[in-house]
Amino acid sequence: MNYTRKIIFSIAVGTALVTACNKDSLHELNINPQALNSINPNFMFTSAQLGAASGSSPLIGDNRYLDWRTNIGMASTAIQQMGTIGGISNIGDKYGDNSETSSAPFEFYYPHLTELSEVLTQTGPGGASEGKYANLRQAARILRVFLFQRLTDFYNRVPYFETMQAAQGVFFPKYDSQKEIYADLFKELEEATAAFGAADPSDGFAAADLYYGGDIGKWKKWGYSIMLQMAMRVSNVAPDWANTYVAKAVAGGVFQSNADNALVPMAEGPSVWIDQNGISRAYIPGDGGEPAFLSKRLIDFLKGPDATSTADDDPRLMILTGGIGDWTPTGFTPVTTDPLKMKGLPNGNDQNRLDALEGHTVNVATTYSRINPLLLDRDEDYMMMNYGEVELLLAEAAERGIGGLTAAAAQGHYEAGVKASMQMYTIYDPSFVVSDAEVAAYLATYPYGSRPKLEMIGEQYWVNHFLNWWEAWSNWRRTSGDPTSPNGYPVLTPINFPGNVTNGTIPQRLKYPNIEVGNNPNFTEKELGMNNYTTRVWWAGGPE
Amino acid sequence: MLAAKPTHVRAALLLHDSLNIYIYLFTPIKLSNMRHLCSALLLLSCLFAMIPSGFAQKRTISGKITDATGKGMPFVNVAVKGTNIGTTSNDQGVYSIDVPSGSKTLVYSFTGHGTQEINLTSSNEIDVRMAPSVSELETVMVTALGIERTKKNLQYSISQVQGELFNRARENSVANSLAGRVAGVNVTKIASGPAASSRVVIRGAKTLGSTLNQPLYVVDGVPIDNTNFGQAGIWGGADQGDGMNSINPDDVASITVLKGASAAALYGSRAANGVILVTTKKGSSRKGIGVELNSNYVFEKVNNLTDFQTQYGSGGYSGTTLQNAVAKKPSSLDELWNSWWSYGGWGPKFDGSPVVQFDGVTRPYQYAGDNWKRFYETGSTFTNTIAFSGGSETQNFRFSAANLNNEGVIPNSGFKRVNLSLSTNSVYAKKLTVSTKILYSKENAENRPNVSDSPGNGILALYYLPGDYNVLDFKGDPNKLGAVPSLEQQADQGIKIFDQKVPGEEFQVGPNLWTQNPYWAAYQLINSDERDRVIATGNVRYDFTDFLYVSGQAGMDWFTKRGTQQSAPQGTGHNRGGGISEYENRARETNFQFMVGFDKTFDKIGVNAFFGGNRMRRYNEYLGLNGDGFNTPFFNVISNAKNKTYSYDFYEQGIESLFGSVEVSYNNYLFVTGTARKDWFSVLNPENNSIVYPSIGASFVFTDALKIAPTWLSFGKARLSWAQVGNVNSVRPYQTTLLYGASSTHAGAALGGFASGQNFPNPNLIPFTSTELEFGFELRFLRNRLGLDFTYYDQKTTDDILDAAISRTSGYTSTTVNLGEMTNKGVEILLTGKPMVGEFTWDISLNFAKNNSEVVSLIDGQTELIADPFTAEPRVRMVFIKQIVGYPYGMITGKTQLKDPATGLPVFNADGAPIQDGKYSIIGYGVPDFTGGLNNSFGYKNINLSFLIDFKSGGDIFSGTNARMTQAGLTKQSLLGREGEAPLTVSGVIQDGTNSNGDPIYKPFTKTLTPGEAQHYWDRLGNEDEGGSADKFVYDASFIKLRQVTLDYTLPRKLFTKTPIQNVMVSFVARNLAILHKNVPNIDPESSYTSSNNQGLDYFGFPATRTYGFNVRLIF
Repeated sequence: MNYTRKIIFSIAVGTALVTACNKDSLHELNINPQALNSINPNFMFTSAQLGAASGSSPLIGDNRYLDWRTNIGMASTAIQQMGTIGGISNIGDKYGDNSETSSAPFEFYYPHLTELSEVLTQTGPGGASEGKYANLRQAARILRVFLFQRLTDFYNRVPYFETMQAAQGVFFPKYDSQKEIYADLFKELEEATAAFGAADPSDGFAAADLYYGGDIGKWKKWGYSIMLQMAMRVSNVAPDWANTYVAKAVAGGVFQSNADNALVPMAEGPSVWIDQNGISRAYIPGDGGEPAFLSKRLIDFLKGPDATSTADDDPRLMILTGGIGDWTPTGFTPVTTDPLKMKGLPNGNDQNRLDALEGHTVNVATTYSRINPLLLDRDEDYMMMNYGEVELLLAEAAERGIGGLTAAAAQGHYEAGVKASMQMYTIYDPSFVVSDAEVAAYLATYPYGSRPKLEMIGEQYWVNHFLNWWEAWSNWRRTSGDPTSPNGYPVLTPINFPGNVTNGTIPQRLKYPNIEVGNNPNFTEKELGMNNYTTRVWWAGGPE
Repeated sequence: MLAAKPTHVRAALLLHDSLNIYIYLFTPIKLSNMRHLCSALLLLSCLFAMIPSGFAQKRTISGKITDATGKGMPFVNVAVKGTNIGTTSNDQGVYSIDVPSGSKTLVYSFTGHGTQEINLTSSNEIDVRMAPSVSELETVMVTALGIERTKKNLQYSISQVQGELFNRARENSVANSLAGRVAGVNVTKIASGPAASSRVVIRGAKTLGSTLNQPLYVVDGVPIDNTNFGQAGIWGGADQGDGMNSINPDDVASITVLKGASAAALYGSRAANGVILVTTKKGSSRKGIGVELNSNYVFEKVNNLTDFQTQYGSGGYSGTTLQNAVAKKPSSLDELWNSWWSYGGWGPKFDGSPVVQFDGVTRPYQYAGDNWKRFYETGSTFTNTIAFSGGSETQNFRFSAANLNNEGVIPNSGFKRVNLSLSTNSVYAKKLTVSTKILYSKENAENRPNVSDSPGNGILALYYLPGDYNVLDFKGDPNKLGAVPSLEQQADQGIKIFDQKVPGEEFQVGPNLWTQNPYWAAYQLINSDERDRVIATGNVRYDFTDFLYVSGQAGMDWFTKRGTQQSAPQGTGHNRGGGISEYENRARETNFQFMVGFDKTFDKIGVNAFFGGNRMRRYNEYLGLNGDGFNTPFFNVISNAKNKTYSYDFYEQGIESLFGSVEVSYNNYLFVTGTARKDWFSVLNPENNSIVYPSIGASFVFTDALKIAPTWLSFGKARLSWAQVGNVNSVRPYQTTLLYGASSTHAGAALGGFASGQNFPNPNLIPFTSTELEFGFELRFLRNRLGLDFTYYDQKTTDDILDAAISRTSGYTSTTVNLGEMTNKGVEILLTGKPMVGEFTWDISLNFAKNNSEVVSLIDGQTELIADPFTAEPRVRMVFIKQIVGYPYGMITGKTQLKDPATGLPVFNADGAPIQDGKYSIIGYGVPDFTGGLNNSFGYKNINLSFLIDFKSGGDIFSGTNARMTQAGLTKQSLLGREGEAPLTVSGVIQDGTNSNGDPIYKPFTKTLTPGEAQHYWDRLGNEDEGGSADKFVYDASFIKLRQVTLDYTLPRKLFTKTPIQNVMVSFVARNLAILHKNVPNIDPESSYTSSNNQGLDYFGFPATRTYGFNVRLIF
């Protein structure tokens, strides 16, 4: 036998076996049968819209964390609408420190900015859908502005210009100043609102748009409303910008009624994690079960100066609170729903201090007014921005003569704002009707100008943002940065709980996530220097 | 492709038949039921009857094999040279073997006794005396690709561990048994329960990537899937086990560790982290059927290492300022509940007075005793194995069946395993050898415990209990442990449910919804899974002549893992609606391999060469059903779920390879080998999807060659080798292109996303390369009484593949990159000695290894990097495990107390609390650099005692458990400063304004804290946020442990002369008996909760346990 031939034959056969599949077919194994090479950009936009509501999306997971940790954990109590003696809300109630509370917006907003960035890349120059989905593109720009504004409002300096450029190899974007970010956000809003075209029924935008069902007019109004809010935000530090953009917003057309409100529809399913309202899930007993007591500050405001009469009550009193009672997993069992007996939990207390304050052992559950469970159905709409706040912003602009508005117009805007704020709750429950007569009576009891006007506007703005405590907190911080009103609106009394981390001052910002501090080489001494709760952000008079 | 079919089909047919048998065997079987086993054997006989036997002329040689003292030696291998025919001697040393005509030589071998070749004469009786180890160097070792070489030839360090060393005192996972056995192999048993995975790192970590530095496991020549199915991270979770949990230690003949690149080079891209070859037992030629029965029963007990204070209970500090705050115990249930006083121990000193507890019941305020003893149970593991073997010179088989039943120390948890294995070898016409092996296993993990973060973690809840609490009071409803008791029971016992839950829902410890009642966690949470697995191999070898062969091999590892997870049943604190998921994971890896080999000696020159190829495919599919909320209350099944969603995952990948090796030897004392392997990968883009891995090495037995060695030097060999291997396993399929996936629908609109989640794909990835230079020597002295094996290696990883954590603001949280360079340099030393021989024997072996790793460079411009933030950051969020240029692998970094830059003194605030430095500083080394083990074995007549001590040093551990327990006022250090205890005085500096640059000015500060301030101090110190100081909770993780003890007694043969029993051995066995030395309080220094690359983090892991019991082995 010729062994050489055998060897050669064996090697040839074996090699053929192994390499029978050439490079291409080996590569074919690496084509994911479950994935797409391209996607309808509408789908990405819808994900971002849902995620913007409560931080949830298929990728990020549980919808309640963002609201629970920060909106409820920090803002609701720091801004003294809610009060607590326990739970995460203690952080805002007593000025504590908590990494999750601090980092949640950073962690939960950027991923949705990725989705929006994808829409913009695909519909932008050189993108697969360049020139198509024109209105979707503008809507994505507006939502992007909204999210970036929130981010910089909470942290001051955040990465902006270099973000979303992983494809260009930028893995560690540098931080930008709030001033530069605002300048660009204004530009974006201006361009986007102007670039909307006529609705195109074939582009799928109407079906994809969770907020407005593709109504271009409403998108433009929301864009200008955000512009108005941003303009007022910088009014103390950049009056020129405030003038310019309030004027542009008004000229462009802001919200005209509660029908314009930016609402995110929520649902019972198919999954509790992404479809249900995150605020509701954080409060419902057992499903998070954050204590849900209204603060003394808010209840006292709603009850008016005469605690023995309902005549001076705010009609929202028994909308925002469901009464005093046990809220258990089986339901809310009121002890009383008598408006005269409503009682808020004073901020900055633990059980011990409350007992001392009241002079006896307090049963918190049956002593203080609860949030109204009817506001907290699991499929409750999530409100991003409403008409009432727009009118109140206009009232302030008018009062301060910003953007060409004059003081003469202030009262009209104020009253429209109060009315809209009172009448917007029917989306939560049909019983939450506040009649025009009730509004009128309220306005007659508290005529515009009966107290300092800016303070009245600020208080109404504050009440308007029940549930949207983020914004109430931002507006208070902005007004407290005004040298003429260092207390801010509304006037809040800071608490000084033993061991607090702010020296007894209301928190002014959130801390950056640990992973940024520990991992981003472009996180510099500048950011490190302001990485506490007390440094004001730029528009509140802090460093750029 | 056609040419492949014969081999393929044959293997498949064998597999098919055997599977049928297994199916028959498995379904009705109770392993103790002998009738079924007999039926099984009948079936097996049928199978063998179907295989045609070879016929050849033959004669029978028999004889007795004795050791140096003249005693009969059992289990000596006897083989006919040049064939696969072999047998072993019985327990008296007697053997009998059928030898085909034409055979000239018999080979006798036994571990530690070398090999003897005896030429056949006309006599049919040959008695052999085995010399005590001319050298183990003559031992045949299994090397890469299953190639057998004598140890003498090898150019690299290779370690073999005999099955004997770990099949009496055993671990559920064989991988854990390697701890302390092999120099340079660092084994960490993950603190996550009886079915947890293991972390085995050989010669230091080579990669930051997701392969977790785990070696390639090869069972009988076939790579198996050792996927880790998930583990705990910062937000908790349960370790879901890995591939090595399937193996029955009784089936393992030996484990060979290919430590370096040279040893593993032939595995190419899969070998970067080393290779562990598991060789299972096989049958041998013998008369009749041999039966071996092994029974092992061990108890398992929690080794409670906590040393907490027991004088202060439930309560807290109260006052209008920190200075006037005093310790207070609860005066009402409201106060207790609303102040979160059902956790920790910040109350006043115990005084025996009545005090209200979490359930509204008043009990004495005094130490309630050891809750660990009450909660944890005595676990047990009962393993039974029966093995049959037999055969002729041309056909043999071994069949074994085993059953393992583990009851965990956490109530209602455990691990069960059934193993069946069959191996057959057949030789046809002296030329064709067919062998098959099939291992079947069924593993059942019951309620894998959650560790790390609190949800579902009953271990954590138990830690937090105040000293005056009795965990038994948390049982609640006796019919549904951990649940709110019935209204009648509440009324009877005066229980008040403060958390407003109704009967059937969780009976909460306190207001923290995320801290589970430990009984609820144990009895109501479900995390169970069942894995059916078949590892099958078919081998065909055809010998053209005695120097030329071809062989083909087909192997498959196939499993289905079916699980149910209910991390939150209905009524759970943090998820009242509850949820459930049912899932199935199917995976398959197949390998087809061929080889052409040549082995011939020309005078003094020997040539051994082969060439071959391999084709690997792996497939994985995951189907999951998820439901949340239940329509019928407390009926926690998927079909009753209100909301239903599903999850699906799929991937496939492949590697194609060609390889070759040439070894040339001169006069049996100089050996030179070169190998090369080229791999093509599916997971990389075609432009850069292949790489060649070369190796070259030489060894020189100078005592044979020079013949001038002094008499005290029995043997000397030097070796030198260089090789490159790699790894692409860190690249998951479909990771090189950005793709999209449409997922669910919300309010009628489709939601889109990225198929690669939050990872940014990289199209330009290339395989990483690990280059290693190794040299070493082996010396034997004083007629082999003393041995030294020394290895030095210098290894370098370039282009490592890693999912690097990137800033979320880039759009993604990670990206897969090739990066930088890492090095590992080290020595491994094995010292063996036989201080006593003769009637009383004493064998001692000491191994140790030192590894110096260094991160040389990372991504351009980056000097630090975090990999996998999910496991790099512990729940006490002031620490990251980081890779830092210029430092060893896996540094522990953390936020520390701020220091005055001028003086280095710590900075305090006016209350005496620490001020935290916002930056992360290096505070420790996450990985030990010095590891080893000392094994002693004593023999006297029928008795053998051996014990293994192992040790690690040079690594640190950040103990989140100690941080949290200090914060909770339970550690002894937290006593300092309390009323009636030694005062707490802090000393350092305090800020006193700022200078003109705005920088702080510090002035000296010393303060003796009031009890209120002291409580605040400890609360801050162990907290991740303001004031938290990670450096205060980093400990030296060095330890010395008494890892294993076995005491064997072989019963005298005369006791059962009239029975078929040939040998009975009874052993006392124990594992993890004692920690002889450690530096960290309250926890086991090995309590790492993750098998990821981020080591050095402890956070409420599974408690350390010790096992002890008995092993009985009967041989018929």
